[in-house]
Amino acid sequence: MKKKKLQEVKATVSEMFELPKEITLNMPKMNLIGDSQMLVENHRGIIEYTPNLIRVNSTVGVIKVQGDQLNLRNIAAEDIMITGKIKSIEFV
Amino acid sequence: MIFLKIWNYFLGYLVIRVDGLSLEKFINLCVSRGVKLWGIKRISYTSLTANISIKDFKSLPSIVRIVRCKVKIIEKRGFPFLAYRFRHRKMLVAGMLIFLVILYILSSFVWVVEVEGTKKVDEKVIYEFLEQKGVKPGVYKGKLNLWDIENQLLIELPQLSWVSIELKGTKAIVRVVEGAKPPKLIDTGTPCNIVASKDGIIHQPIVMEGELVVEVGDTVKQGQLLVSGIIEHEDTQVVRYVHARANIWARTWYEGKGQADFDSMSKVRTGRKITHKILETENWQMNIENPDIPFDEYEVEEKRQPLLGGDEGKGLTWVIRDYYEVKKSSHKDIDRLTKEKAAEKAMEDALKNIPNDAKIIDKKFKYAIIKDIGYEAIVYVEVLEDIAEQIELSVN
Repeated sequence: MKKKKLQEVKATVSEMFELPKEITLNMPKMNLIGDSQMLVENHRGIIEYTPNLIRVNSTVGVIKVQGDQLNLRNIAAEDIMITGKIKSIEFV
Repeated sequence: MIFLKIWNYFLGYLVIRVDGLSLEKFINLCVSRGVKLWGIKRISYTSLTANISIKDFKSLPSIVRIVRCKVKIIEKRGFPFLAYRFRHRKMLVAGMLIFLVILYILSSFVWVVEVEGTKKVDEKVIYEFLEQKGVKPGVYKGKLNLWDIENQLLIELPQLSWVSIELKGTKAIVRVVEGAKPPKLIDTGTPCNIVASKDGIIHQPIVMEGELVVEVGDTVKQGQLLVSGIIEHEDTQVVRYVHARANIWARTWYEGKGQADFDSMSKVRTGRKITHKILETENWQMNIENPDIPFDEYEVEEKRQPLLGGDEGKGLTWVIRDYYEVKKSSHKDIDRLTKEKAAEKAMEDALKNIPNDAKIIDKKFKYAIIKDIGYEAIVYVEVLEDIAEQIELSVN
């Protein structure tokens, strides 16, 4: 309950000062280029990786990416770059 | 991205294949321990391939132990591995270096000297002069003081009005422009007459000083007196000598001849062409550029440039063959085109003698057919030009 309130305050403050929310709220930031490339910043590791499905853990839950011939082009502590034909993105 | 790729290639990297059951765990562990993976591809449920740097590969065993998977190197890529392979082949590397050094040394000499732009001056004279000054095949480029040589060339060959020497690779290109000699100027204080420099009919005399002795419409011969520098006063009979100045515009005629053959006009170039470039020696030839010729009918023009060895045929020769597409003309067209060509040639011939400041007022063409061969055209060109020429007066 207390944590939820703190989160709300943080959201309003960052809204007021136009601060980047992915930093203040510790949320993932996703960057899509068409349907061929996706950059996920601020992730919490990979849960599942197959050519048709990638599940990435994050603070807001699991990000489920479905598509064809998905590759992990780049993977680092902060961000993951997924390439291939992306069909859907879901928050589970 | 390309810089990253070059950087990775320079440092060297491995393509590894990981077999195991919990490959996600493997990836996560790698990430959390700062082992950088890229280009990860899942091949099947139990295996994936990825790229990893040489440095990070050494810290893999601890991860492998935890995840319990197998890691196999599929491919080694990058400069360090290439260098490793050349470890026992030092002479190969030395050969490469020697090749580069020789290439550098050879390219710092002049191998070909070319003279462009000569018309009346004999090219040989310029070549000889250049050789004297050191511009010849085999000379070191850094030793040449081009500016100095240009100036000396200009001074010693007064027919040239501009010279430039450009070093382009191993080629020294000498461009010259021939200038017309300036007319001899007579000092304004010296008395002089004006005579006709050519035959003609006086059209418009403009006298600035002196006394005009001809009238408009007079026919004058070359050398005939036009403006006198001796002025006698009518009443006092006092004789005054002046420096006569005048522009005498007169009508003059020029003739030009030209001939064109039916044969040369039976085919007309359409403007499309294809070039073959061939490197040739006495015994073999190599096609540098050798595209197919899509033309039904064509004409070939061949240019040969000796590259090394000097003499034609011996040594290396650079051959450029231009294939021009041609179209056959109809019988009627041949007649017309031949006539036109002959006229054009005749005009060209005539223009050679006509000075630049002359105005062309009339052209007349006459054609004579040469049986079965072609046409001969004669053109009479009527021009307006200044025929004034100053000649010094001897006052005695």
